This record gives sequence, C-alpha cells and structure tokens, in this order.
Amino acid sequence: MTFRQFAYRNVTRNKRKYAAYFVVSAFSVMIFFVCALFIYHPDISKSLVYSTAAHTMMAAEAIIYVFCSLFVLVSVGSFLQSRKMEFGILLMHGMTKRQLNTMVFLENMMIGTSAILTGTLLGLILGKLFLMIGSTFLGIPLLTFHLPWQALVLTICSFALLFILISLSTFFFIGNESLMRLFQGERKAEEEPKVSLVLSILSALLLLTGYYMAATAQAASVEKVMFPVVVITVAGTYLFYTQLSIYTVKLLKTIRRLYWNHTNIITLSGLSYRWKENARMFFMVTIVSAVSFTSVGVFASIHTLSRELKLDYPAAVGYVAKGKQSQDPFDQHVDEIKEELTTLGLPYETLSIPIKYAEVESQSGPDRTLRLPLIAYSDYKLALLRAGFTTDERPLSGDEGLVMIGSQRDRSLQAGRVKPIYTLKQGLSIQETGYTQHVPIAEYLLPELDGRDGGDFSGVVISDELYKAIDPVQTDLYTGFYMDDFPRTVGIAADLAHKGKRSYESNSPYAIVVSGTLFEIQRTLYNTMLFASLLVGTVFFIAAGSFLYFRLYTDLDHDRHQYSTLSKMGLTDQELNRIVTIQLSLLFFVPVGVAILHSVFAFIALQRLFYLSIAVETGAVLLGYLAVQGLYFFFIRSRYLRNLKKNLI
Amino acid sequence: MPILDVHNLSKIYEGKVSTQALNHIRFSVEKGEFVGIMGPSGSGKTTLLNTIATIDQPTSGQILINGQDPNLLSRQEKALFRRHELGFVFQHFNLLDTLTVEENIVLPLTLAGARVQEMESRLQEVASMLDIEHLLQKRTYEISGGQMQRTAIARAMIHRPSLILADEPTGNLDSKASGEVMNMLTEVNKEEGATVLMVTHDAVAASFCNRVIFIKDGRFYSEMYRGSSRGAFFQSIIDMLSLLGGTSHDLSAIRL
Repeated sequence: MTFRQFAYRNVTRNKRKYAAYFVVSAFSVMIFFVCALFIYHPDISKSLVYSTAAHTMMAAEAIIYVFCSLFVLVSVGSFLQSRKMEFGILLMHGMTKRQLNTMVFLENMMIGTSAILTGTLLGLILGKLFLMIGSTFLGIPLLTFHLPWQALVLTICSFALLFILISLSTFFFIGNESLMRLFQGERKAEEEPKVSLVLSILSALLLLTGYYMAATAQAASVEKVMFPVVVITVAGTYLFYTQLSIYTVKLLKTIRRLYWNHTNIITLSGLSYRWKENARMFFMVTIVSAVSFTSVGVFASIHTLSRELKLDYPAAVGYVAKGKQSQDPFDQHVDEIKEELTTLGLPYETLSIPIKYAEVESQSGPDRTLRLPLIAYSDYKLALLRAGFTTDERPLSGDEGLVMIGSQRDRSLQAGRVKPIYTLKQGLSIQETGYTQHVPIAEYLLPELDGRDGGDFSGVVISDELYKAIDPVQTDLYTGFYMDDFPRTVGIAADLAHKGKRSYESNSPYAIVVSGTLFEIQRTLYNTMLFASLLVGTVFFIAAGSFLYFRLYTDLDHDRHQYSTLSKMGLTDQELNRIVTIQLSLLFFVPVGVAILHSVFAFIALQRLFYLSIAVETGAVLLGYLAVQGLYFFFIRSRYLRNLKKNLI
Repeated sequence: MPILDVHNLSKIYEGKVSTQALNHIRFSVEKGEFVGIMGPSGSGKTTLLNTIATIDQPTSGQILINGQDPNLLSRQEKALFRRHELGFVFQHFNLLDTLTVEENIVLPLTLAGARVQEMESRLQEVASMLDIEHLLQKRTYEISGGQMQRTAIARAMIHRPSLILADEPTGNLDSKASGEVMNMLTEVNKEEGATVLMVTHDAVAASFCNRVIFIKDGRFYSEMYRGSSRGAFFQSIIDMLSLLGGTSHDLSAIRL
C-alpha cells in the first residue's frame, strides 16, 4: 500500500462521512457550470435585451462561488476536528507532521477533483434541460445546446483553485496539538452553554424593533429604513440563536413540572447542546433563506408586474412632441409609429392632447416648480375613457387642480407631500385639491413636478375655462396609441426609443414610451433574477441540510451510546422516535420559520413600494420551500433513526 | 417466592461456529439478597446478565422476575418492564452527559411519569443515602469516577426496582473508589432492601455479597455463602477462583 493508496482508501472507505461534503461540492459545481453555459450561450451573449440576464447570472455565479468556498472551508474544519483521534494514532505510529499534511491535502484534492468531474459531467448531461427551463422562464425561444469552451474553462479553473486553496489551508487547521490532546478526542465534555440575560433581552428587543420598523415603514421611508432594519434584524437573529433561544430552553428547564415530564428531560437537554453547536450555522441559514425567500417572492410577482404596467401605461405607445412650432418631425414620427402598428396588424385608437406649460412665479410648500404642465379636464376625461378606466371624480371648477400621478407607485407617496398653491407669472393661481385616480399620461412623457429629481408627479389637470385662460410658454402635443394587447408592441419604434423609452428630460425634441418593450425588458430581468435566486437558493438549501446531516453523523456514535443506555433503562421505541423527531424538526424548521417570519416583514415593507398585492405569489413561494424542507426532513430523519437503531437492543 | 428464578437457561449463539454461551443454568435469588456472579473470561457472565436484563433472548429455559416471564412480552412491553422492574449499574457508568447529576438520577422516575414532588423527595432520600447531595447540580464531567458510579447506583434504585443488575460496577474504579461504591451498594441492599445481582471479576467486590455463584464455560460451577467475616469470605473466593483456573488475568485479586 503506497502512501497515495492509503489516502485514497481513507476517503473511499469513509464514504458516508464524506457524502454530504461531496454532494454539496458537486452540486455547486454543476449549478455553477450550467449558469456559465447560459451566460456564454451565443444567443444570450449577443442579444441586447438579454444581456441584462447574463449579468444577473454572473452575479449568481459569484454568490455560488463565495458560498461554496465558505461551505467547503467550514466542512473541512469540522472534518478534521472529528478525525483528531485518527490523526493521533497515525502520529503515534511515526507519521511525520509533513506526511500528515500531505495526506490531508491529497484526500481533499481527491474529493475536490471528483466533485469537479462529477459536477461538470452532470452539468453536461443536464445542460440541455437547464437551457430549456431557462428559456421557458425567460419566455424566449428555446436555446439550442451549445458548449462554449469558456464555460468549461471557467468552471474547472475556478473550482480547482478553490479546492487547492482550501486544501492548503488545512495545514492551519491541523495545527500543532500534542498527541495527548489529539487522543482526548473529538468531543470534549458537553459544557453547559453560557448565556446572558441582558443579551437575550437585547436580542428580543432588536428583533421587535426591526419588525416594528419594517411594518410601519412608509413608502417614502422604505429606502431610508431598509439598511438599519436589515442590520438590526441580522444582529437580533444572531443573538437569537446564540443567546435568546438557549436562554429560553434554560428557563424551560427550571420549570420542573415541564422539564421533568416523561421524555422532555432528554429532548430539551439534548436540544440545548445541539443548538449551541449549530447556532452559527442556523444564523447563516436563516439570513440567506430570508434573503432568497424575499427575492424569489418579489421576482415571482411577475404577474403583478404586468397588471401594474397596464395601469401605469394607459396607452400602449405614448408620444410627446415638444413645442408645437416644430411640426414636421412630429408628424413624421407619429406616422412611422402608425405604419409599424399597421404592419403588425395591431388595431389601435389614437388620442391627442395638447399640454400647456405655464411659468410659475411662486408656489407654497417646500418645492420649486419652474414650468407647470397643464391639461384640460375634458382632455383628461377623454384619456381615461380611451384607456378604459372609470372614475367618479367631479368636474373641476375655479382654480382647483388635480395632480396627475405618473404611476401607481405615486399613490403611496401622496401622504407625504404638501399640496402647494401655484401663482403663475400671468397672475392666475392654481390650487392643488387632490390627485387623479388613474394615470392619464404615462411617466417619462412629462417633466416631473416639484423640480426634484425623482419627484414623481407629472402635471396638473385644471378646469377647461382655466385651461383656456392660460397663456403658455410652450405647448406640447401628446399622442397616445391605445390598444388592449399592449405586450405586442414590443420592438415598436426601436429607432426612436432606446430600450423602450426616451424620457422628457433627454435633449431630443420628443419623448416616447413603448410599454411592450418596457414590459419585455422588465419581465426578462425579473425572470432572470427569479431564476438565479431559485438556483442560488437551491444550492444553499442543499448545503444547509447536508451540513446538518454531517453534524448528526459526526455525533452518531455518541448518540448511539446514549440511546442504548436509555433503551436498557426502558425507553420504548416510540419514545425514542418522538425525542428524535422533536429534536430534528426543531433543528430543521426553526431556522426556516424564522426566515419566513423575517421575509414576511420584508414583504410588508416592500408592499408599500408595490401598489398591487404580492401576497399570493410570496405565499406560494414560502409554501413551496416549506414542502421541500418537509421532504428533506423526513429523509434525514429516517436515515438518522435507522443509523441510530443499528446495534440498539 | 424468589424475586429472580432462572430455570434451565441455555443460550446458543448461532453462526459459522455456534457457541454455547450458557448451558442449563439454574438458580434463584430471594428478595433482599445481594448475589455476585463470578467466573473466568468467556464463562458466560455477561450473557447471563443480558438475558436476565431482557436485552438478550435465551435459546431455551425460563426466567421469572417477580413471577413474570419477560420473554413472553412484546418489545414495547419489555421496555416498560425494564423501566419498572429493573435498575442498571454499568461498568462505564453510562450517565447522560447532557444532564446534571440530579437529572440523571431522577431519569427513571421521569420516564415513568412520576409527580415532581415525589421525584424530589425520593431524590433527597437516595442522594443522602449515597452521600452525593453536594453534587446534585454538577455536570457529569465535573465529578470523579467513584462519584459517577454512586450517581449511577442512585439512578438504578430511585424507582425501587425489583432487581438491580450491576455489570462490573468497580471495573473502572481505583481500589479506594471501589471500596466506597461497594459499601454504598451494600448499604442500599440493607437499608432499602433492594435485591442486587452483580457480575464481577473483582474478588474484593464479590466479598461484599451475601452469596457468590461461580460459573465456568456456561455451566453452574459452585456457589458460596458469606459467613460473618468478609475477610474469610474473600479468602475462600480467591481459593475458588484459583480452583476455577482460567488465565492469570482472571485472578485479578492477586494483584491486590
């Protein structure tokens, strides 16, 4: 038996122990590889619209890589920890430290190499399937199978590097412990976890504050509170696992009526030890799961997106010619659009509305508007009629004005805005009395009100009489092309609108939005993000489960010994099953439960940004995760119980 | 009626070469007795104890504990039977390291679903008897081997089982701790009237018993009752052991 054979046999004869580690590594390699296949696919990398998708996938690659390094590092650390006794025996028989390092390095490289090979091979086999799923997700024509050399090179090189670095770092893990220490073994006495009341209370306070802030955030403040809320919640979660939960169990233990009741004594005491051991892992799982739940939930709400787009873009194509004086190009553009729509066979109706700009002398409130876009009430009514919106707004009179919302999102901003009174240069005044119920003219087609960048309201509707009296400094003409099936306008007026829009603030003589193209771009982006977060989520999910399994496996001998004692003392099989089931289900479902709670509050906060409800979509996502986690739980539980009951009387 | 009645007990381990571990063993133990079982390595002591403990099935013969044959019970009923009728003391103590000393001790009562009040009063009784009251809040890794074995004895007797089974209780202890533990076991036997059946290699430990049964190659060899003097009893055990033969290892008493 040569030295290399020895290392090889160490691995192959310890299959079970290495299984979890190998599975996760190979799986990560596979996902990484198929993502690379996607990124370097010629149909994707050459297309303009889908190049954003490739960027998203790139980000997913990075996350998978970073995560995989972390996971491998942590697993290798625990492995070496659990093999101390074995190392002690080897060193005692005269193995040098150098040889030991070489052995561990060889073993790790063996696993790494086989994981890379398996992962890439699986990726090759499943690549076509993945491309099919991917193209269905993105709603693009089926991608043919294509093996770009870059994908192969990127995957193999990056993971080879990862495994080499990690294998080298094992030298530090092994350290220079004395033989005596090595023999004392893997498992030191189970010390009672140390917890403090102050930190536990702090944890509860942090979590409650985070939740409270998230639940009460207003649309305008969501972005501001986002960062502190995340920090507070993350800190609270960490303390929850390392302090609060252990403290709670400790408190439960003081209630003898509960603790000294049948098998509770074994369940709770075992749990608090195991909990402490896994606290950091739980923390990681919770945070990453919460992030992936939230992102998957948001990106899964694609249906909401199309409903919202329909409300935000009343006309499938909206066009504004700035300044009536330059008539010629305007006619030409509108004609071009008409022609394109006719060629596509899309039935449409048009509506033209003149928009007057009045110079503002002064206005009440904190903002400064220089030129106020105005439309007449009758035109507004017409625009709503064409778009198929109904309203019960009463006609305007006097100097009353309704502020036009530029998108549904603006509704949530209304509460925080002061309604100013404008005094125009020509002496008239306009008083804002409310907001329109619908979007008459889409965003980007009018300059934004309030003179703020990102100010969101677009103009004011005034009574017909007042409108007539206005002496404009400029008049624009809005033309809307209304139709039912707006997504079909994708690609219309591609030379006028870059990526579906040219906003009023740009320096061209016109502004245009093509909702079909905008929708397509948004949809692709969201779908890719959904796809990417599902992939990353899956990798993480499998890793977390495997890690738990690995930990259980490491402790198996100890547990077997304990349960065999208990069994001799008369613990029945049902009681054993119950103890194990309760412990495992807490280990499996508490992190997921906390993650769900976190993401529910995240959704509550995010809901303020979405006008339409995303509850159904996110509910489906969370249920899906729970179902898969449930399956995983039953799988691990049955394996663990079977292993535990081996050699049990 | 005897607490334990072993009747023509045989155990054959099947395999490529089947071995007869027990061959028509027959003895009985009366209530309140303290019985030791000795014999050379491989004589079938542990098999005998495991069969009595319902952990192993006899090939033929019958065991009656308190007039009941546990081998007629189902797996579930057997577990409950062990819980109520038997107490165990192991060579390696087998305390649960996630529990404190007192929690280890009350474990049998907890499993049986006793009331907290009853558990607490009983805990005080056994702890003071075994002189471990000051250790109750400690964790198992904080106490010495002798203290661990005393804890294990407390655990084995707290639920007043019909029979306490001890498997080499002094096997992992130094002579001082062994002496202490055996004194405690004797006290438990006298004060509580607990019936104890102990398997041991150690002639000193065996000399604490009322009676020692010797077995060899799975057969009953002889038995000895203790007279008034423990010293004399010890001497006759040593004599019997050398008569029994076996390897020098089995004559561990010589080392003393």
